[in-house]
Amino acid sequence: MIEVKNVTKVYGKKAQAFTALGGVSFTIPDGASVAIVGKSGSGKSTLMHVMSGLDRATSGEIRIGGENILTLKQKKVDAFRSEQMSFIFQSFFVQGNESCYNNVALPLEIAQVPRRARREKIESALAAVQLLDKKRAKAKDLSGGQRQRLAIARAIVNDPKILFADEPTGNLDSTTGEVIEQLLFSYNKRRKATLIVVTHDHDLAQKCDIQIYIKDGHIDTIERHKEKATTADKRPLSARRIML
Amino acid sequence: MKRVDIMRRAARNLRQAKGRTLLTSLAIAVGAFTIAVSLAAGEGARQYADKLIKSNVDPQSVFVTREPMNDAAAMTGGLRKYSENSGDYGGVSMEMLTADDVATLKTIPGVDQVRPTYLISTQFVTFEGIEQRYTSDVTVYDPTVLATVAAGTLPALGEQIGADEAVIPESYANTLGKKPSELVGTTITLTLVKAGKVPTEAETQEAMLRGGVEAVKALYAQETREVPLTIRAVSAQSSTSFSASTAVFISDVKAEDLSNWLTEGTDQYQRYISATVIVAKSADVTEVKDSIKDKGFSAMTAQDISGMIFTMVNVLQGIVTGFGVLALIASVFGIINTQYISVLERTSQIGLMKALGMPGKGVGKLFRYEAAWIGCIGGVIGVLLAFGIGTAMNPWITEVLTLGEGNSLLIFVWWQNIALVIGLMLVAIVAGWFPSRKAAKLDPIEALRTE
Repeated sequence: MIEVKNVTKVYGKKAQAFTALGGVSFTIPDGASVAIVGKSGSGKSTLMHVMSGLDRATSGEIRIGGENILTLKQKKVDAFRSEQMSFIFQSFFVQGNESCYNNVALPLEIAQVPRRARREKIESALAAVQLLDKKRAKAKDLSGGQRQRLAIARAIVNDPKILFADEPTGNLDSTTGEVIEQLLFSYNKRRKATLIVVTHDHDLAQKCDIQIYIKDGHIDTIERHKEKATTADKRPLSARRIML
Repeated sequence: MKRVDIMRRAARNLRQAKGRTLLTSLAIAVGAFTIAVSLAAGEGARQYADKLIKSNVDPQSVFVTREPMNDAAAMTGGLRKYSENSGDYGGVSMEMLTADDVATLKTIPGVDQVRPTYLISTQFVTFEGIEQRYTSDVTVYDPTVLATVAAGTLPALGEQIGADEAVIPESYANTLGKKPSELVGTTITLTLVKAGKVPTEAETQEAMLRGGVEAVKALYAQETREVPLTIRAVSAQSSTSFSASTAVFISDVKAEDLSNWLTEGTDQYQRYISATVIVAKSADVTEVKDSIKDKGFSAMTAQDISGMIFTMVNVLQGIVTGFGVLALIASVFGIINTQYISVLERTSQIGLMKALGMPGKGVGKLFRYEAAWIGCIGGVIGVLLAFGIGTAMNPWITEVLTLGEGNSLLIFVWWQNIALVIGLMLVAIVAGWFPSRKAAKLDPIEALRTE
């Protein structure tokens, strides 16, 4: 369970002070899929950064599994992130010059997973995104959709409990984007992991269990409803891969 | 992130920027090359000097002069105190050792023998069966250093050759156009001319009255002496022995006899420019040297001589190493520059690693290891180049400097070179410290906003 209690984030000081988040509170149950929706500059990315411990909130409480990450030391937050969380970004951030295998290996190396245990994890993560045959290929030789799939493999390789996705389909065409969405939701359901998607795409947001609408650093509305979207495309993933 | 994983990632990152890595390393390689060569040259020079001294000077001997050899006044020809014992040697006026001095030296405890340096100048030398007259230096055979022979035999170490025997260098046989073995057993004749003392006016008148012009002529005539010696051996040419190729060797007894005869009646009689004191095996050379110095002499041991040469070698080596260090300092800025650019280029990579939970310290380490790799590559390139070129050039250097067969100027010591590479890695890590700190402090959110 993720509890966000009265979180504020202020950038700058005194006259130049800018309030990016002004007292945000909500709760996310384990295994839920959540969309944080808002226009650019609304504070939705800041919210994601604060929740993941990448950025420090100015005040408030962020409890993940009961632990308030704002009172943890930076070292602990880093360790927490490497073991429990993962990220997917709009511009993928795969390392073009590294092989797919080594791109996926990075989180395991950071989490200090022993060498022997890595291979199996990496290969099953690559298999989950249908990229096992590209294991030795350099990431720069991949297409945009393949790169984002590689980023997903990298994100899920260490079995995170929380998966953050920042505009995961923003740089992709709609067909490719759908595959990525499918992969994210399937991980969310299969591993009972919490999926937090930051987006301004309402269609993607509707596919999530919870929608948190952010406006000017405040919560506008929170909608909780069982979506219908995951049933929208019943074709197996392998069949859809052809379209990539 | 484990150290080994960071090292592997660092190596891969460098491999992906091959050109830049190589160019940066080459700057270090220049410094590494210079230092490796200077280390090798210093080692070679020291070994050569050591060989040279060992084959020319008996470690049990002390070289004694009346006054310090390196006296500034003696060298520059400034105003000097007059002494009736002073004599001219090599254009430098220096105070000579007297027979009394030699006697004094003999009384010092621990002194086994005192060998004055006899100066014997010959008018000419002739060889049996050869008309041509030649000029040659004559030196006392040194029984403490065993030379190799081309023909004939030498006495055992420590034993003098016979009074009527001589040893000639191989180069003489070459000049004469004979095989060394043909010369052994033949006679060499030294012809000496006594300068004599100038007759006084009274003596001249007396001679005139006694025997007329003939008697005066006889009085003024220079006395000559022919000294026939049997060639006992022909010494082989040696690259490390100073005297082996330059003079006829005779026994000390003969040398004393000839020296006395030559200087008899002159102010040079029983005056020696230097003497070699042989210290008894049981006595300590340094102690004897100190007691010789206490008596007012100047004394130098084989160790002192090698010490002097080593000091010179060290100074020269220091200068060359200094240039290498300058090149390294320049390359340090190269590393800093390259790594700064690398940090800027890989901002998003750094951001991603931080987002995935890599602590700033780990990121800093990654960049420092990359710098260390650059240092290692540069060091290895420089050392290998120095080794390759040095090994290839050694025979040529040996020939040009006539160091002699089996001697090399550039001697590479493996542990020195390994230490050099490790040192360069440390230098590179220090250079990489600033960029790595920048990477470690990079704000992940800022970093991930790029692109």
